[in-house]
Amino acid sequence: MAIFNLKKREIECKVVYYGPGRCGKTTNLEYIFGAYKKQVKGEMVSINTEGDRTLFFDFLPIGLGQIRGCNVRVQLYTVPGQVKYSSTRKLVLRGVDGIVFVADSLEVRREKNMLSLKDLQANLKEYGKSIFKVPLIMQYNKRDLADQGIPLMSIEQMERDLNRQLKAPSFSASAVRGDGVGATLKECLKVTLQSLQREFQWAR
Amino acid sequence: MDIKQRLKALLQEAEIYRTQGLISEAHDKYKSAADLIHSINKLKNKESLLKAVSEKIRALDSTKEKVDKGAETPELSKKAQDLIKNLFAFSENTDADSAALEGAVALAKFGQFDRAVVELNELLQKEAVRVEAAKNILRCHLASATVDEAISQYHEWFSGDQFQPQQLEAVRIYLDEILQKRGLTMDLPSAQTAEAALLEETAVEAETIVEAEEEFLDITSIGITFDKGPRKGKMVEFDVNFQSGNMLSLIISKQEKEVLEHLAEGMKLQDVQFFSPIAIFNGAGVVASKTQIKAGPKQGDYCLDIRIVSS
Repeated sequence: MAIFNLKKREIECKVVYYGPGRCGKTTNLEYIFGAYKKQVKGEMVSINTEGDRTLFFDFLPIGLGQIRGCNVRVQLYTVPGQVKYSSTRKLVLRGVDGIVFVADSLEVRREKNMLSLKDLQANLKEYGKSIFKVPLIMQYNKRDLADQGIPLMSIEQMERDLNRQLKAPSFSASAVRGDGVGATLKECLKVTLQSLQREFQWAR
Repeated sequence: MDIKQRLKALLQEAEIYRTQGLISEAHDKYKSAADLIHSINKLKNKESLLKAVSEKIRALDSTKEKVDKGAETPELSKKAQDLIKNLFAFSENTDADSAALEGAVALAKFGQFDRAVVELNELLQKEAVRVEAAKNILRCHLASATVDEAISQYHEWFSGDQFQPQQLEAVRIYLDEILQKRGLTMDLPSAQTAEAALLEETAVEAETIVEAEEEFLDITSIGITFDKGPRKGKMVEFDVNFQSGNMLSLIISKQEKEVLEHLAEGMKLQDVQFFSPIAIFNGAGVVASKTQIKAGPKQGDYCLDIRIVSS
C-alpha cells in the first residue's frame, strides 16, 4: 500500500515485477538501474542463489520528482519466479500498488506463463485484491530471440493466452536490449498513480 | 528442413535455453538432438557429436542438482538483513517495540532465523510484545531446528520468572496448537494450572493464618478514644470482663452516663487500644450490643459487647 505523507506532499508506492522463473524480471530492473540513473535513488539490491536465480527479491528505489505538487518515490521489486518460492512471492507482493507481469515469449514457456499468472491471481486474492482491478501491465519479453531462430509465441497468441480477459496494456520487450522496458515501466507508473489518485485524491 | 538442419536448429535451441537458465527445456532439446543423431546412419563425427551432447546433458543435470539442492534460506549479509527489516516491516505502529518486533518477524519470514531469534530474545524484556516475541521464537525453532528445541525453550520459560502466568499460558496454547497440527500430543505444563494450584495452596495457607489469627490474644482491657461528647479526644480505659474470640464484653457502671450515651449499638470505634499481658496494639471495634443488667450485684450497670474488627 502506498505511503502518503500529506504534510511533506510525498508519495511512496510499490511496483512488483511478477512472472515465471527466468522470464527476465531481474533483467528489467538491471536495465532500469543502468538506463535511468537520474531517477534511481539508491543501489539495486539482488538476493540471488545458485545459477543467478532470484532467491528472495530484487529491490530498486527510484524517484519520479514532483507530480502535481507531490514528490513521488517508487520502490521496484521482483519476486522469485521459481515455483518453490511461493511464500516469498506472496510476501513481496504484500502492499503492492502496481504490477508488471513479465511473460516469457518462448514457446516452451507457454504453460509456465499461464501458471504464474494464475499464481499471481491467487496471491492477490489472499490480500483481498482482484487481478482485474489492480494496476497491471503485461510485458511479452525475449522478443529478440526470434532473430536467433528460436520458436516464440506470436503476440496474438500471448494476448489470447494471458490477456484475453484482463485486457491490460501490453508491451513487447527485450529486456536484455532494453527494448520496451522503459515503456512498460512508464505505463505501469501511469496507471498506478491514476489508481492511487482515484483512491486517495492526492493530486489537486 | 533436412535432417542436418534440424539437428543444427535443435542444438542451437538447446544452447540458447541453457544460456537462459532454462535447464529442463535445454535438457529436452539436447535429448532430442541425441535421439536424432542416433537415427542418422551416415553422419560424420557421429560418436564425437554424441559424446559432446552427452556432456552437455551431464552438465545440465549437475546444474539442476545444484539448483534443487541449493540452500533454500542461506544466511544473508547484515546489510541484506537490515534491508529486509526495513522493507518488510509493514506495521503502521510508531512505537519502537512493535516496529522492532515486525522487523524481527520479517527476518524470520525470510529464513534469517539466527538473527531473528537474537532480536526476539531482546524483545522478551518488553512487556507489551513479550508474548508475540515468544511465539515467534518458537516459530523460528520449529522452522529451523526441531520440535524438541521449541518444547525445550517453552520448558525453560516455564521454569523461569520472566513471564506472567497468563502470558506463558498464551504461549503454551500457541505451541500446543502447532504441535497438535503436526499430530503431536505433548503434555506441556500450564502456567495457569500451576498458578491455580499455587493459589489453592496459598488459600489453604491463608485460611490457616486466619484461623491462627482468630486465636486472639487475651485482651485484659481496652482504651477507647471518643471522637465526640464531653470526653472527645480523651481515652477511657475499660476492663474486659469476658472474651470470646474477637468479641469482648465490658461492664460499664451506670454512673458513667456520659460514656454510655456515646456508646450506642452499631457504633464504630475507630481508635481503640487493646491491652494484653504480652502486647498493646491499636485497632478498631464495633459496639455489637449494649444491654442493661437486670439483676444481681451489677444490676443497672451495662454490659457492652465490642467486636474487634481490625487490629
